[in-house]
Amino acid sequence: MSLTQTSERARRRDYRIPLGILLFSVALAAPFIGSRYVVHALIIALVFMLPAHGLNLLVGYTGLLSLAQAAFFGIGAYTAGLLAIGYGTPFYVNAVVAGLAAGAVALPLGVPALRLRSTSFVMCTLGFVIIGQAIAKNWISVTRGDMGLSGIPKPYFELGPLSFTVGGTTGFYYLALAIGILATLAVFAVVRSPAGRNMVAIRENETLAESLGVPTWHYKLIVFMLSAVFAGVGGSLYAHYLTVVSPLTFQMYYSTTMLIIVLGGGAGMISGTIFGSLLFVGLTEALRITPELRMIAYGLCLLVLVFWFKQGFAPVINRVWNAIGGAK
Amino acid sequence: MTTHLPLLDIRNLTKSYGAVKAVNDVSLHIDRGEIAGLIGPNGSGKSTFFDCSTGLARPDTGTVVLDGQDITGWSLNRIAREGRMLRSFQKTVTFRSLDVEENLIIAGQMFTFPSILSTFSIGKLSRQRIAGLRERARELIRMAGLWDVRHQPAGNLSGGQQKLIQFASMLMPEPKLILLDEPMAGINPKIIERVVETILYANKSLGVSFLVIEHNIDVVTSICRRVIVLDQGQKLAEGLPQDIIQDQRVREAYLGG
Ligand SMILES: Nc1ncnc2c1ncn2[C@@H]1O[C@H](COP(=O)(O)OP(=O)(O)O)[C@@H](O)[C@H]1O
Ligand SMILES: [Mg+2]
Repeated sequence: MSLTQTSERARRRDYRIPLGILLFSVALAAPFIGSRYVVHALIIALVFMLPAHGLNLLVGYTGLLSLAQAAFFGIGAYTAGLLAIGYGTPFYVNAVVAGLAAGAVALPLGVPALRLRSTSFVMCTLGFVIIGQAIAKNWISVTRGDMGLSGIPKPYFELGPLSFTVGGTTGFYYLALAIGILATLAVFAVVRSPAGRNMVAIRENETLAESLGVPTWHYKLIVFMLSAVFAGVGGSLYAHYLTVVSPLTFQMYYSTTMLIIVLGGGAGMISGTIFGSLLFVGLTEALRITPELRMIAYGLCLLVLVFWFKQGFAPVINRVWNAIGGAK
Repeated sequence: MTTHLPLLDIRNLTKSYGAVKAVNDVSLHIDRGEIAGLIGPNGSGKSTFFDCSTGLARPDTGTVVLDGQDITGWSLNRIAREGRMLRSFQKTVTFRSLDVEENLIIAGQMFTFPSILSTFSIGKLSRQRIAGLRERARELIRMAGLWDVRHQPAGNLSGGQQKLIQFASMLMPEPKLILLDEPMAGINPKIIERVVETILYANKSLGVSFLVIEHNIDVVTSICRRVIVLDQGQKLAEGLPQDIIQDQRVREAYLGG
């Protein structure tokens, strides 16, 4: 657990700060280094990193397996799309409202679902995605049914006297990067807070946590809502980037992708989710140019994961990171 | 006036699992500052009695009054948090992937932070609260003899050490009453001594009352002033430990009548 790294080991030279600066510089310079297509792949990775961060809080830290993430992602996408088309509101309003809407919907869904035992809970969360898609298809007066929403305007900002639109791929990349960094910091804060410790306690042994005064049910509900907020914000980015939203935004494939990011990257580790997003989404997007290879590469990745990295890649990343930090 | 009331007063507690009456109309009280023992053969309903008293299970009938307040039907976490009555489990449990210090800090958090929302803060006040808990945790860790392993994951430690973690965790929130379910089972004599010392210390210096389920009759006679015997879900006897071990009915129950 990264919660408890207070070792008093002798340290060699610490290269972590220079490496961190290097990685950050690469992230900043990506649009000038990589092709347009690479930048597109990175944007998609950043968009999916948001619901994955939320899911990591739920699965990795609190120990609750959920497939509902695509439902909240879809709610966020539709909310942002409808606001942008209907009211021309600035992007940050759409993103915040999308997050809050997803979080608000999670409350009445979480209350009954969290009473269920683990496997029933998973099935129930799967149901949310299916119901979400059915609503998006059939509530035609609002969602335009199968046609979906199209012509969602590019993200538009209004900061005091300044107003501008984030038009091109490069601009959108920086927007997604900024939100991705903010979300990562938010997850970091939650995990480092006393509540984060309670979440891990619930994952490790719910009854013991309960016996030590932790209101486990309330925590699970709050984290479920929080994970939805992250997914909702991710959905708003998605809608603005693609400029179209259809009922297919509510799809199981997205929920499983988000789960693979979290489990494959390394559940309960923030670095794992970041790495997982880049690997599983960035890579599959990047491989879209060679569709024959894409599914094979994806499958190979999963096999490597299952056989050699049962806990995801994050423990390996952490080991390398600590080695760079000079730990013996 | 209140000082004459028992700390814990349980009346006519009954709990059935299917056809099995695990606890059958048991009444029992614990006085302030007391260490009482609860004994009985396996399957006599001792653990179930704990479960029903602490909110882990709901009793079919009966009332639980703690410090003058009716807490029947409260949840396990609320009884711990608001009632400051804590319990251990027969099967030793810890937060296995977390180190010893983190285990104890978790045990103190809900008693230090005023609300669930406040636990999401990483502000200065929050950090100060955690620093206070860490200090208290370290004191208890030293007392429990776990200092050298305080940064090891709890799951890597021996069963006896994990029992000590569980016990030290329960002292984090300054409890009024602790219910211990077989704290000495399956641990070596050296650790038994340590647990006994810690119970006596908590009782004398911290004013914690205890109800202890224990099969080790030497331990029971040395620390308990009063012993209650359960057999097949019913209260069989109650009295001084030296009288209880002489009691013919108790002997028969243990020999398996
Ligand atoms: N959760 C449960 N479900 C069904 N039966 C139970 C449960 N808990 C205890 N029992 C039954 O209740 C009786 C008392 O068990 P228990 O309280 O564990 O006894 P003790 O702790 O004195 O050994 C036993 O017959 C046991 O099988
Ligand atoms: Mg028992």
